[in-house]
Amino acid sequence: MSHFQAASGSCVCLPPIKGFLETSFIDWPGKLCAILFVGGCNFRCPFCHNHPLVLAPEGMETIDFEEIVSRLAARKKWLAGVCISGGEPTLSPGLPTMIARLKAEGWAIKLDTNGSRPEVLAQLLADNLLDMVAMDVKAVLIQDKYERCTGCPVDLGAIQKSIDLLTHSGIAHEFRMTVAPGLHTEEEIAAWVRQFDRSRSRLALQNFNPRTTLDALFEKEQGFSPEIFSRISAMVA
Amino acid sequence: MGVVMPLKAETAQARTHQVVNEDSTDIALFVRSSQDDMIGWNRQRIVDALLRETFIDRDTAEKISRDIEVTIQAGKVKTITGPLIREMVNAKLLEMGLEEARRMHTRLGVPLYDVDQLLVQHNKENANVPHGPEATNLTLAEGIKKEYALLHVFTPDVADAHLSGDLHLHDLGFIDRPYCSGQSLEYIKKFGLNLPHALSMAKPAKHAEVLLAHMVKFAASLQSHFAGAIGWDAINLFYAPYLEELSDDGVKQLAQMMIYEFSQQAVARGGQAIFSDVNIYWEVPKHFVDVPAIGPGGVYTGKTYGEYEKQAQRFAWALFEVYKEGDAAGRPFFFPKPLVHITEKFFKTDGHMDFLHHICEVASVKGNTYFVFDRGDTAKISECCRLSFKLEASDLEDAKQPWKMRYSALQNITINLPRLAFQAQGDDTKLFLLLTEKLQLAAKAHGQKKKFIERLMSLGKGGPLSLLAMDLDGEPYLKLHRCSYLIGMVGLNELIRVHLGQELHESDESIKFGLKVIAHMNIVCSKLAEAMDMKFVLEQTPAESTAFRFAKLDLAHFNTEAEKVVQGNRGKGEVYYSNSTLFNVGANMSPISRVEKEGLFHPLIEAGSITHIWLGEAQPDKEALAGFVINVFKHTQNDQIAFSPEFTACIACGKTSRGLSESCPYCQSKDVDGITRITGYFTKISSWNKGKLGELHDRYRNIDRFNN
Repeated sequence: MSHFQAASGSCVCLPPIKGFLETSFIDWPGKLCAILFVGGCNFRCPFCHNHPLVLAPEGMETIDFEEIVSRLAARKKWLAGVCISGGEPTLSPGLPTMIARLKAEGWAIKLDTNGSRPEVLAQLLADNLLDMVAMDVKAVLIQDKYERCTGCPVDLGAIQKSIDLLTHSGIAHEFRMTVAPGLHTEEEIAAWVRQFDRSRSRLALQNFNPRTTLDALFEKEQGFSPEIFSRISAMVA
Repeated sequence: MGVVMPLKAETAQARTHQVVNEDSTDIALFVRSSQDDMIGWNRQRIVDALLRETFIDRDTAEKISRDIEVTIQAGKVKTITGPLIREMVNAKLLEMGLEEARRMHTRLGVPLYDVDQLLVQHNKENANVPHGPEATNLTLAEGIKKEYALLHVFTPDVADAHLSGDLHLHDLGFIDRPYCSGQSLEYIKKFGLNLPHALSMAKPAKHAEVLLAHMVKFAASLQSHFAGAIGWDAINLFYAPYLEELSDDGVKQLAQMMIYEFSQQAVARGGQAIFSDVNIYWEVPKHFVDVPAIGPGGVYTGKTYGEYEKQAQRFAWALFEVYKEGDAAGRPFFFPKPLVHITEKFFKTDGHMDFLHHICEVASVKGNTYFVFDRGDTAKISECCRLSFKLEASDLEDAKQPWKMRYSALQNITINLPRLAFQAQGDDTKLFLLLTEKLQLAAKAHGQKKKFIERLMSLGKGGPLSLLAMDLDGEPYLKLHRCSYLIGMVGLNELIRVHLGQELHESDESIKFGLKVIAHMNIVCSKLAEAMDMKFVLEQTPAESTAFRFAKLDLAHFNTEAEKVVQGNRGKGEVYYSNSTLFNVGANMSPISRVEKEGLFHPLIEAGSITHIWLGEAQPDKEALAGFVINVFKHTQNDQIAFSPEFTACIACGKTSRGLSESCPYCQSKDVDGITRITGYFTKISSWNKGKLGELHDRYRNIDRFNN
């Protein structure tokens, strides 16, 4: 595992990188970026596609961070930035150190988060470590509806705090939601859209895709039919 | 009812004379006759045929005919047909050790069982051939012409090399045609549609729609005279003088008509769509800027093409709007393939970023766009799956009179590279020696095809290639002396794996050695070109079925070595070698590495290369793709790229969805067909050969982020 000497002198473990894609065309709107996947998550969303990262990250090989940094250095001309995804990256105490290291290399940073750690997000924003954030807001902020989507108890106050932080951050950000007929009604999706300030925030809806999901039962679920989904997507167009 | 054979004996000379003057229809009738007794039997016919077709002496011929007569009289044969007698004579010739005479006297044809199978089952050698009566006609005719070519056009060493899979002579069933053709619309703009033996002659078009009608008919005529692709240079520019009167809607309508005309032409030769390409430029290419433009009625408009930039751009834009929409079911159009040239001047032309985003959106949504990179002063015309012709000084001189610009490759031959590595057994010197020998053999085969086409062309306008002999501008349409002869390769990746123990993507050393192999091919081609005064050039052959055929043949004949390196699924018989110099399609390589590393080979392959980026389900932003395309132009040597999405077309509800699914996401029907690029063009996956199915399964789609 890679280590990095933090300013305090104590040894801060870097987030465990369990996946790396050098070129992604789809993870940073309009840009080509590299993407890192950090292991470990505090949510158990039944429709999650990255579930080995969530359930059993210890079983996955950790990729050496410095190796990635040097590989990326050769791609400066090509890539607009680095996206840090997961799992949930904000759970790792070493995240700010890792981002600082990438920033020192001149990379713009996008963070994918579920918004459950507003204090981490606030610090990263205050330290100017982020260039773009995509936050999953998994449902309307109603306890039972939200928890159906996360598969575990959630502090909705924290989610709201993260939403407010991003809305007023002045940096590019996106709130996104994976929708499925078993989890969301069209009215709820409309309500979800209404809670945001469209002049400040970009919104995105993804249709659920029954591939390998965290909850095996969920593989039997379908996404919205293409007709309905195109009607739903029009809400954020 | 059978045809009774004439009783009257003729002298051999008279008979020969008569056959030569008979047209082929009578010959066809002559070979079949049926009688249940000896009425109509004439032994002399056997003698005549042997004397006419072979070099054996009269006494031997007489003896053979008498022996055959005895067999027949013995009463064992109830029905005598021409083909049966011929087979009996052939058996006799073999028995007497007259192998050469047997070869000359042989009969070309297809077993009854095979014809029955063929009429019912789908031929998958070329995914662009549908199943139907026209297609089976094509297959049957191709079968006979192929046999003819191997027996009669090529020498036995060449034919053996093809049959054993040392190399592959492409389109043998089209032995009496050149391989492919790239041309300018100016020819029909200037001369109208004035084809030899046509039922009517049309003057130069006065309206854009008529010009389109001429173009489509001309393309169809060309398809029946060439084996492969029909490409059109700078199509949007040459249409421009016809567009000034049209509104934007009118231009869009024209674009739509053109794309539908070419994509729905699957009613012509063998039910096969014309493999058509249109070259598109956002700028006015340098070599056309000062050229006087031809407009309606075939007359000069008084302006140069440089002055038509805006009209040309309007048409280019409209064409991509149509591509973006796809067909009535939302599927991508398979033809014509749009090849956009990205040049230094492209980046200096107003509106280029908007256009780049536009064509990248099409690449993302439907995949059609091919990005062709012409760096520095290079100018090219591209066609086929990746073939391109670099314009030389004489071509740029022709550009002043663009109707003169036409380019043809006469034939295409692919070398089986992995087999060379099996034979070399790790010895570099032996490997390069074997490679040289195969290149020499390929050059010899090209010489033989050239001689054959020359013979057909020498018959001029009365011969079978009258269209190619047409000389409206003072030169035959097919400029034989300027034709290229293509030499391609299959399985560089597997050659390296056998020879060095690693595949191309696994080490820099592999890439270095791979470059040495291709550079050697390049140099030998130049030397042979000089020695034989023929233009031999390397191409990444599409090898749609060759990559499968070589792998199968090597598994049969070099099993121990081959089974370690063939790709795909051997259990299912879905085996293949990597195409040309492509890296393992399944290698976990980022698209950047792939375009960079595959691109290292492109400058050595003058007649064209491509890197495919398989997108799978992902639908990237146009801006992300545009940035990538610009970087490929600026920072790599890559010649051409295309992004390939995948689609599911539902046969039950007719709708099209993204990604390859087992059932339709709209109606859940399992009656679906996949659509994506096979080698260099889009087709339905149900028509693919097994080798390509194996490859499809292996393709790296840039989504495997970790092993789950």
